[in-house]
Amino acid sequence: MSAPLFSFAGVTGGYGATTVVRAVDGEVAAGEACCVLGRNGVGKTTLMRLLTGHLPLQSGAVTFGGRPMDGLAPDERHGLGLIYCPQDRPVFDNLSVRENLTLMASADADRYAPLLAAFPILEDRMAQSAGTLSGGERKILSFVRGAAETGRLLLLDEPSEGVQQENVERMAAFLHEAKAAGRALLIVEQNLAFALEIADRVIVMDHGEVVLAGNAADMTEATLAAHMHV
Amino acid sequence: MQKIYKPISRRHFVAGALGSGAAVAAPAILTGAQAAGELKMATFYALSGPGSLFGPTQTAVTKLAVDEINAGGGIGGRKVTVIPSDGGAPPAEAAKAAIRLMLRDKVDIVVGSHDSAVREAIVAALKGRVPYVYTPLYEGGECNPNVFVTADTPQQQVQPSITWLAKTLGAKSYYLIGNDYVWPRKTNEQAKKYIAAAGGKVVGEEYVPLGAPNKFEDAVTRIKAKKPDLVVITLVGGDNINFNRTFAGFGLDKSIKRISYLLEEQTLAGIGDKSSNGLYSAMSYFENEKSEANAKFKAAYRKAAGAKAPPLAMIGVDTYGGVNCAKALIEKAGGTDAAKLMAAASNLNYRTPTGTGVMTNRHVVKDMYLAECKGTSFDIVETFKAVAHGQTCS
Amino acid sequence: MDPILTTNILNVVYEVSTLAVVVLGLAVVFGLLGVMNLAHGEFVMIGAYCAFFVQTQNLPFLAAVPVALLVCIVLGLAVERILVRPLYARPFDTLLATWGLSMLLREGVEAVYGRGFKSVAVPLTDSIDVLGADYPSYRLLLAAVSIALVAGLVWWFVRSATGRRIRAVVNNPELAGSVGIPVTALARNTFVFGCCLAALSGVLLAPLMPVQPMLGLDFILKSFFVLVVGGLGSLVGLISGSGVIGGVESIVSAFFDRTYGYTTVLIIAILFLWLRPNGLFPRT
Repeated sequence: MSAPLFSFAGVTGGYGATTVVRAVDGEVAAGEACCVLGRNGVGKTTLMRLLTGHLPLQSGAVTFGGRPMDGLAPDERHGLGLIYCPQDRPVFDNLSVRENLTLMASADADRYAPLLAAFPILEDRMAQSAGTLSGGERKILSFVRGAAETGRLLLLDEPSEGVQQENVERMAAFLHEAKAAGRALLIVEQNLAFALEIADRVIVMDHGEVVLAGNAADMTEATLAAHMHV
Repeated sequence: MQKIYKPISRRHFVAGALGSGAAVAAPAILTGAQAAGELKMATFYALSGPGSLFGPTQTAVTKLAVDEINAGGGIGGRKVTVIPSDGGAPPAEAAKAAIRLMLRDKVDIVVGSHDSAVREAIVAALKGRVPYVYTPLYEGGECNPNVFVTADTPQQQVQPSITWLAKTLGAKSYYLIGNDYVWPRKTNEQAKKYIAAAGGKVVGEEYVPLGAPNKFEDAVTRIKAKKPDLVVITLVGGDNINFNRTFAGFGLDKSIKRISYLLEEQTLAGIGDKSSNGLYSAMSYFENEKSEANAKFKAAYRKAAGAKAPPLAMIGVDTYGGVNCAKALIEKAGGTDAAKLMAAASNLNYRTPTGTGVMTNRHVVKDMYLAECKGTSFDIVETFKAVAHGQTCS
Repeated sequence: MDPILTTNILNVVYEVSTLAVVVLGLAVVFGLLGVMNLAHGEFVMIGAYCAFFVQTQNLPFLAAVPVALLVCIVLGLAVERILVRPLYARPFDTLLATWGLSMLLREGVEAVYGRGFKSVAVPLTDSIDVLGADYPSYRLLLAAVSIALVAGLVWWFVRSATGRRIRAVVNNPELAGSVGIPVTALARNTFVFGCCLAALSGVLLAPLMPVQPMLGLDFILKSFFVLVVGGLGSLVGLISGSGVIGGVESIVSAFFDRTYGYTTVLIIAILFLWLRPNGLFPRT
């Protein structure tokens, strides 16, 4: 197997002097999906923010495409192909749906056509301000924006949160397509069924540390579920 | 005497501002004993604050006066040394400095050119124990003991100039505009008196706050509506510049004359040649005054202060008369005893840049000039000889 | 129409529009960066001195515009890098730092030009007949340029891609970085842009005020009143704030006098701080 597209080792960090995430390792290869699982508040989102450059690492290293990421700002990582859809406040509330999609690119119809066809709810709300969408609709908008980008790595923080089941299934279909196209996926999820549907590898976190990691195929749903619930 | 000194030594301990030896040395002052030798002259000029524009001229002119005095043998045989302080400081700071100068430096005389708030603070600090000569133009009324005023008073500025303008220009209606503090209001009191005496009428009077970022579009529009013959301006500094530029900008200079009572060479430079048409000023000094005395004064100043000498303007040149008044006072009184100085101040003659000043009632009867602005220089159109100061200090 | 009334109306338009341009730079910087630049008035002052400098070199008045922009780009870049960027998200420290900077700039200009009043010649000295009222051409032109500048900026902010990205950064800075908006560069450019707007208004206003090192202080206070009334949220707030503060002051001054004008503005500002602290158009 070739060197993984994205890897991180000993990732430790948090807010100010507080450490939330301790010594987390992981990797994702091209065409592969890795899911980060765990209960609420175990540091999954903090891990994502550390990996995307929104929080500084206290220690550890992040490598993307063979290149160390230290000192690179979020927009520079984006430029290298690291696409991130955050969990909280996933869209620009004060911009319209269309402006959210075309903020960084001209209105490239081809890019969004298949996604918009799959999620017609957005097409109907193009001129509406994104702040007026429901939580699930915002997640869909964020997903569409991220999925349409061409970067090789997609980091999704709870993409299915608040999203209706049929749309979650459509998301899963697009993610399979992305894998097939050779993109790497790192996904934080609470929806175990959705996670297992896509994941090749699984990382389970508790109290900011990795408590279980391995191939998804090797794990039983019951074992994972035990970690997800108190 | 003990009573007088107690609060001062307490202030010394609290503020810590005085030299450590001052309180111990203080009683030496009480004896009034004066060592022969140098004569210490403290000066309060605007070294900081809005007036500091004038500080360089005040300092350079004083240096000229002192050098001339020392070259001629000093004051009563004593060489003069100048100890400068900041007259642009807040009044409380100036008062502290005055106390320090009196107790630690044991100065013989104080000369000041600064605003009235600082003057009042210094007068209160000195309590008449050190003679104090006050020199810039002011609102009048300073009669505290051992204080000698060489300044232009409103009576001197206003009476001859208004009378002349009313007659010469045929001005009937007047509009008064000034900053809102004591000098403009006192000056306008005089102005209204002489406007009435000349048969004129005040059609508007307004004051703008001192130190606020004033604009004058509204005032100029009001003046435009009232169409007065003459606008009497008692605005100072930046406001004076801003008003006159706005006035001319709205084209009012074509039909309405103006007289400003605090307009010297530096302010006129700020107003600029495009905005000075029909503008007059009345003071006891203009650089362009044509007397032989002034020619000599200017030549001596240029020689002493060099090519980059600060400009000669009324606020600054006033200190020349102040220093010479100090000399005349001390020599006539035979020392710095307060009672003797007060007596000496009556009918005291002293040297000014344009000739001789005569002190009566601790103010000065002097020649006043009315000048019309021509571009950024003054053209003296009338000289008023020996104008009374209108002060009644005993 | 009564020519005096016309003149008074034009005075109000002049005061409101020129005030809006000065506050614009301050508000843009605060809106995007959360940085209250207390040295904003000093950039106005530097712009005015650029106009004076150009005059001493016998160059045409308009040559002051590129000179002032150049000076303020260089200065703005340095200030952003050294002073503002290390202090993002520390608003109080930023206030202190920019206040210190304002003193430094005042002293610096004083060291070069002294404290004396400088006068910049008015480029247009004639007046134009507006509905029977003679009004100075330069003031009319200045009001027109100010209105055009504010309108142009609003249009650009709403319509351009960069304007959209700035709004995106204001709304959600974290997401903005993630979608690839160069947040640091955008913040830097915005700060420099704010400085340039201040300098530009300084150049344009220079012929109509006594140019001296302290003049910036006059602007910063009034700018705060505008932001207090208008709110920090939007250009609409800024324009309405300028309208209320500049308008009320000049209208009250026209009917009574300046003292009443200042007092009314102060009362309005206090009432807003008390009853409506987020202004007319609060930040969402």
